[in-house]
Amino acid sequence: MLLEVKDINVHYGKIAALKGISLQVNEGEIVSLIGANGAGKTTTLKTISGLRPLTSGQVLFNGEDISKLAGHKRVQLGIGQSPEGRGVFPGMTVQENLLMGAYTRKDDLTADLDEVYELFPRLAERKNQFGGTMSGGEQQMIAIGRALMTKPKVLLLDEPSMGLAPMLIAQIFSIIKEINKRGTTVLLVEQNAQQALKLSDRAYVLETGRVVKSAPGLDLLDDPQVRAAYLGGH
Amino acid sequence: MKGGGVTGKANPLARVGALFDGARDWWEHAKVWQRYLVYIGAIVFALILPAPWIGSFMSPGADWTSVLIYPVGTYILLAVGLNVVVGQAGLLDLGFVAFFAIGGYSVAYYGTQYGWNYWATVVFGIALAAVSGVILGAPTLRLRGDYLAIVTLGFGEIVRITANNTDEIGGARGITNVPHPPPMFGMKFLLDPAPYYYLMVAAIVLVIIFSVRLQKSRVGRAWAAIREDEDAAELMGVPTFKFKLLAFAIGAMIGGLAGGIYAGKAVFIEPNTFPFILSATILAAVVLGGAGNLPGVMLGAFVIAWLPERFREVDWLKDMLGGKDPSEFRILLFGGVLVLMMGLRPEGLLPSRRRKAELHEGTGGMGAMGAEVAGPETEASTEAVK
Ligand SMILES: Nc1ncnc2c1ncn2[C@@H]1O[C@H](COP(=O)(O)OP(=O)(O)OP(=O)(O)O)[C@@H](O)[C@H]1O
Ligand SMILES: [Mg+2]
Repeated sequence: MLLEVKDINVHYGKIAALKGISLQVNEGEIVSLIGANGAGKTTTLKTISGLRPLTSGQVLFNGEDISKLAGHKRVQLGIGQSPEGRGVFPGMTVQENLLMGAYTRKDDLTADLDEVYELFPRLAERKNQFGGTMSGGEQQMIAIGRALMTKPKVLLLDEPSMGLAPMLIAQIFSIIKEINKRGTTVLLVEQNAQQALKLSDRAYVLETGRVVKSAPGLDLLDDPQVRAAYLGGH
Repeated sequence: MKGGGVTGKANPLARVGALFDGARDWWEHAKVWQRYLVYIGAIVFALILPAPWIGSFMSPGADWTSVLIYPVGTYILLAVGLNVVVGQAGLLDLGFVAFFAIGGYSVAYYGTQYGWNYWATVVFGIALAAVSGVILGAPTLRLRGDYLAIVTLGFGEIVRITANNTDEIGGARGITNVPHPPPMFGMKFLLDPAPYYYLMVAAIVLVIIFSVRLQKSRVGRAWAAIREDEDAAELMGVPTFKFKLLAFAIGAMIGGLAGGIYAGKAVFIEPNTFPFILSATILAAVVLGGAGNLPGVMLGAFVIAWLPERFREVDWLKDMLGGKDPSEFRILLFGGVLVLMMGLRPEGLLPSRRRKAELHEGTGGMGAMGAEVAGPETEASTEAVK
């Protein structure tokens, strides 16, 4: 198992956002977290990447307990995240944004940079444009590309389709598939449950800080309760 | 930030702004030898600046060289230091004067009480400032924005009040007979202000070189990332806390150096030499000039230091104010100017291109407005960085 979250509780002040969440991600999988607004998806990802401390429970990476490890050290272990709202550096160019992803790396970057530009030809056209002036979809590409530049073993994606046009959503999902095919494990948070579930090996349904269901993605697509709650009931 | 007022035709600052932006664009594309010419020109300019014929216009009432040391040079040095914290790492420090005080008191106290060599007291003051920066930063830099501002503000006051209440360092009366620097390069540091001025210029040049080198290093990149999005920086593997602490310590060291050099000329220092309003003034200089961009920050510090001195002697202003010293109104004026700047040119007089992009950040479709497009007076931002 590559990543394991064991019964974690996370609080914002006194408010419990996560109430005992457990999940597993195996090497090579695409795993999705779906759930309503405020269910705790973002908080789960932030806890895995070390941006939020946990009150109790454990986060294991390659069997090693990383719950107390600072976020920047988890990056070096191989946890890469594209945060909710993208978090692109507005005053850095596209290329500088991507190079920030390689901040801790000392090896040769050209191959990885080329790969990101191959996945996102749009970014290659606009290497020298400021991140802040890129469109929403383009910023999403930067955020994903930048996370890839950290050479992650597992890539955490927080709503990569947020605010994108349908065409672009389809494109982003196929790129995620492609990234996974090339060997990166993916943990995906999505509002776009339909597309996410189709893509996923397995998925977890979160409700108010708890996992209420977990099953292979396609099974959840057919689950009547899930259909009613997250897929518009068709 | 609304983009409308910034590039609009009605904006009186737009023309001046365009001129500055043009200069910056030229600079960004300038060749190495062109840059060195500018550096040499700037140093030559600094060396002839105290000339009486310049002084007769710039400072008809007071000794020009002394004005250039304090407030002008001192403010510039402090602003360059505060710029590391505010402009580069993006941390709001409202108590910067504390480090200035620590440097000043170190020179005054160890010089008068223990007879230490001037330079030893300066170095010790810098070290002391760095340590207090770390002690202040360690618990507070885990907090964000507003908390940090409040805690640093408190720290500035604590240092001043502690000095006021500690008899060992002179209490409210302060310390007199602060020793001057020992002779250097055949210059004696006595009553003639010129040697102090050259010392000040040397310190500023040194600190600028240090600051520029930092900015271009991995450290500078980390600071830029932290300033622009702290969480994202951490996700890139930047040890954000460590680097914020480093920015704090380096800013403090520069503040301490400024204090040491100031005290070397001042002869006399007291707690009220280091009021809160000085922290605010230096911060205003940084913001007015263009946080993050050294030439801008220095310009801001120069303007804020020099203008009140200049207007002190303007007779019609004095008459208008019923005989009061116009410089007493400087804080009111700064406030007004800053409010005006926020509306017209929020990035400061002479911002870096990156800083401008940060402030005019397109919402990338996240909000109601689309991305900001470069105005007609600047190059398209697609050609930003070489
Ligand atoms: N910084 C914060 N301070 C206080 N409460 C927070 C904070 N961030 C999140 N919360 C709360 O924690 C809970 C989980 O939030 P989280 O952002 O993880 O939800 P989410 O599943 O990602 O929702 P969405 O789909 O809207 O992004 C919510 O009730 C939210 O209000
Ligand atoms: Mg979320």
